[in-house]
Amino acid sequence: MDTSKPAIFVNGGLLPMHVRKRVRTVVQVIGSDRGAVIGKSTDDQQLSVKGTPPSVPLTNFVEVIGIADSEKSIQAEIWTNFGDTFDTYSYNQLCQLANGECQLLFL
Amino acid sequence: MGHRLSPDAIATLLSNPKPDSLSDIPEIIVQITKLEPKGKSYGFDANDGKMKIKAIFNSRLSSEITSGNIQNLGLIRILDYTVNEIPSKSENYLIITKCEVVSPAPEMEIKDEIRKEEAGIIFKPKQEHEIKIEVKKEPSGILLKPKREMATKSAAQIVHEQHRNMAPTARMAMTRRVHPLVSLNPYQGNWTIKVRVTSKGNMRTYKNARGEGCVFNVELTDEDGTQIQATMFNDAARKFYDKFQLGKVYYISKGTLRVANKQFRTVQNDYEMALNENSEVEEASNEAAFIPETKFNFVPIDQLGPYINSNELVDVIGVIQSVSPTMSIRRKSNNEIVPKRDITIADETKKTVVVSLWNDLATNVGQELLDLADNSPVVAIKSLKVGDFQGVSLSTLGRSIVQINPDTPESNKLRCWYDSDGKETSMASVGSGLSPSTKSGARSMYSDRFSISQITSNPSLGGDKPAFFSIRAYISFIKPDQSMWYRACKTCNKKVTEAVGDGYWCEGCQKNDTECSLRYILVVKVSDASGEGWVSVFNEAEKIIGCSADELDKLKSEKEGSSYQLKLKEATWNPHLFRVSVAQNEYNNEKRQRITVRAVAPVDFAAESRYLLEEISKMKDSP
Repeated sequence: MDTSKPAIFVNGGLLPMHVRKRVRTVVQVIGSDRGAVIGKSTDDQQLSVKGTPPSVPLTNFVEVIGIADSEKSIQAEIWTNFGDTFDTYSYNQLCQLANGECQLLFL
Repeated sequence: MGHRLSPDAIATLLSNPKPDSLSDIPEIIVQITKLEPKGKSYGFDANDGKMKIKAIFNSRLSSEITSGNIQNLGLIRILDYTVNEIPSKSENYLIITKCEVVSPAPEMEIKDEIRKEEAGIIFKPKQEHEIKIEVKKEPSGILLKPKREMATKSAAQIVHEQHRNMAPTARMAMTRRVHPLVSLNPYQGNWTIKVRVTSKGNMRTYKNARGEGCVFNVELTDEDGTQIQATMFNDAARKFYDKFQLGKVYYISKGTLRVANKQFRTVQNDYEMALNENSEVEEASNEAAFIPETKFNFVPIDQLGPYINSNELVDVIGVIQSVSPTMSIRRKSNNEIVPKRDITIADETKKTVVVSLWNDLATNVGQELLDLADNSPVVAIKSLKVGDFQGVSLSTLGRSIVQINPDTPESNKLRCWYDSDGKETSMASVGSGLSPSTKSGARSMYSDRFSISQITSNPSLGGDKPAFFSIRAYISFIKPDQSMWYRACKTCNKKVTEAVGDGYWCEGCQKNDTECSLRYILVVKVSDASGEGWVSVFNEAEKIIGCSADELDKLKSEKEGSSYQLKLKEATWNPHLFRVSVAQNEYNNEKRQRITVRAVAPVDFAAESRYLLEEISKMKDSP
């Protein structure tokens, strides 16, 4: 398992805290706009995901890993299809824990 | 009665709360009810036949009351009064400063003269209580006799006379207003119910921090079929234990209601009743005709899960799929032999369940069902205990009631469904389908969650009787060279022995069969984050290995053993949710812990995540 490039679990609300850092998040694909994929974060905020998506079609939920280039966008290097259903509540809680009291477990 | 109440007397009083002079006051006659002392004066409710108002006599008049001149339920003409308003309650109350007695107490509170003329059959329940209050005040008074007859009698004489004078009681019974059980609630205390004792528990003694005591309870059923449990402690228990007889009908009042403890209740009622020494229990005579209708509260087969191993009994209705022959089971407790018969029923949920009929139900009703079996009759059963044998199993008790092809809407609906769709659909046993996603499994896989080490590190678990837990674990090892299965009877799944000659003999069914099925019985190793342990698994192993025992055996006997090994390998390191029982076995004088898998379900990751989040937040709260 490659641990050389750790990524921080974020949602819409936590992304601004990690601009210019490597982050990962799961979004629900709601559309595309000028080459970027528009996604809804697990805390219902709109994020923009830039970069080249994979050749396979995107499923409803996608995980993206990359550098946060602004408070509302990510330059994604890795895209992973997470399927059509996803428990956004649990993922959101995970983001809170990973950035809060359980920080030390993650980075 | 010469004098009558002034119509709308109270309205008249309210319209002129502070009369200027005595001549201002029209003829006002009211009845005194609920007369009771209030400090130096007496308070009452003034009744004009339609309305009532709270009232109080001027303390100067108290002597009139204590002398018996002014009586409860008597009529008075109000000569001088004032009406005041209680600001905080926006209620009015009447102060009587002068009055004269018009008539002594009649036998009842006057309500709507019209009704009274209808032979006064419909009395309000309050009326009873009015008179009862009277009785309590009198040193010796007899129900319904006019107060004048106040001879001093000994208690024994009174009781004797009461028994002789059945007429008043009978009259009371006819005129008593009976409330349906379904209308009772803790906030309304004036009720009388008419119920049959459908079950009577034994008197139990107990000892707790507050001392010793005795308690017993009865199950009561009314005409509509509603049931409620009534409990009595100590004095009340002693008072009513002999009075309550199974099968008899009683009028009961002055009990208290409270919300039922779900853990201990056996009947379907949100409330349970408690009776104390002041409660009234009167046997209703000539009530042989009062047969409570059997009221069913059917639970669909696929919703039986939450009732597993609970005290609450269930009712079911289904179409007969099969009826077994009678089996003789030896009771472990007293070595008695009892007859048992298993029937399989199905309902619109497309699930089947096995119901074990015991004793008379097995022999008589069971035989009837066997004879009718080809016609797929509908059977409705009340008061079944839900067990976890083979996932979900139902068992009859002494009080269970079985009805074959009842003429009820549910039965007809089921019949329609079966004749059109049901016959052809393939049904699954409800026990094999337990998973967190369906309501039935959800509760058991998330209740009593333990980690493997919590089980293995505690050797005293399951000492008296098996303890149940749920665990989430991975299969870490399945030993390839163990006998994975046993030969089972195709009908009852019990172990068969090789018959003399050809085929197999089943002791339970008492018959031979040329074929048998193979059913899993093996041990596997499971692991989770806390540790590992060995568990025994029966046919639930199908969910772990991914094929039936028959199929696995075929793979094993193939020349090239690799597909068998592969099958086992594929089963390894898969996560599952297990419902396990933990018991203690003796082995060579040593106590050993035995963990048995009762149910297997796939891990629902979303549900599991939420469970973990809950556990994490619990950890935060505790130090």
